[in-house]
Amino acid sequence: MSEERGPRRDPASLDPGAKAELDRAFEQLYRAHLRDVYSYSYYRVGNHHDAEDLTEQAFLQAYRHFERARAESDGRPLRPWLIRIAHNLASNYHRDRSRRPQTPLENADPIPARHGTEDLVEGREELREVIANLDHLPDDRREALIMRFALGMDNREIARALGRSDGATKVLLHRAIKQLGEEMAS
Amino acid sequence: MSSPEWHEPGETVDVERLLSDALRPIEPPESLSGRLEDTFSSITQAAAEELTDWAEELTESELQSLKDPRNWVRPVVAVTAGGLATGALVVLEMRRRGRSRARHGVRHLAGEIRSRL
Repeated sequence: MSEERGPRRDPASLDPGAKAELDRAFEQLYRAHLRDVYSYSYYRVGNHHDAEDLTEQAFLQAYRHFERARAESDGRPLRPWLIRIAHNLASNYHRDRSRRPQTPLENADPIPARHGTEDLVEGREELREVIANLDHLPDDRREALIMRFALGMDNREIARALGRSDGATKVLLHRAIKQLGEEMAS
Repeated sequence: MSSPEWHEPGETVDVERLLSDALRPIEPPESLSGRLEDTFSSITQAAAEELTDWAEELTESELQSLKDPRNWVRPVVAVTAGGLATGALVVLEMRRRGRSRARHGVRHLAGEIRSRL
């Protein structure tokens, strides 16, 4: 869903009834997917401060284009569109800085899993290793894995968010997991 | 991740489990939710206030134009100029018709003389 096509109508220019309905729909979208956008942003930039800024920017962009996105979605879920906005913003973020995240992903704290006490210590090391290796993957493979595992997106959603075909996305995920497994085994 | 669809069974199960554990969704801080909601509220409110101000200014301006005699000069000039232009067109058209009739009369006379000769 390109954001550059066609004229953009600011939501404020709608008549009051239509605008109220649009605002309610946007609020639902925002509440349903704030965590997704934030999680994705966090795993892309590696720190909470920039993840917050990226999330805010993503929702502001989404708000401006929401009416057209909803019309063009033809009833399909808008999560891939939201994640695509966050994805583009994160790419701009890295491009602007022309380097890796300020806090590399490997330094980010893994989120504690529901393990027993003994498993927790050992498990955290293992998780750190996963995250460290994840940071060595090519960008598109890492992004697909974040969408799949942190956000629970299915292949079709990931395909839409990345602007790829379903088949290409399936191959991308397969190769990402295979490469990660090889990196961890070596 | 209950239905892995991109690999053979057993091939990368551990990697997937580790990924599921490592890449957990992250709850956004409360402050972010509040900040975003404030931003959306202020955008909506600002847009509404701007529209109201604009509408009020427009109405006042229109009323002022009607009340102020200085603003009547332009319409009067426009009506006068329009009237003069219309009058000029009428005069020109009458002259054109007059010339046409005169030309027609001379031709008619010449034809009659030719037929008599």
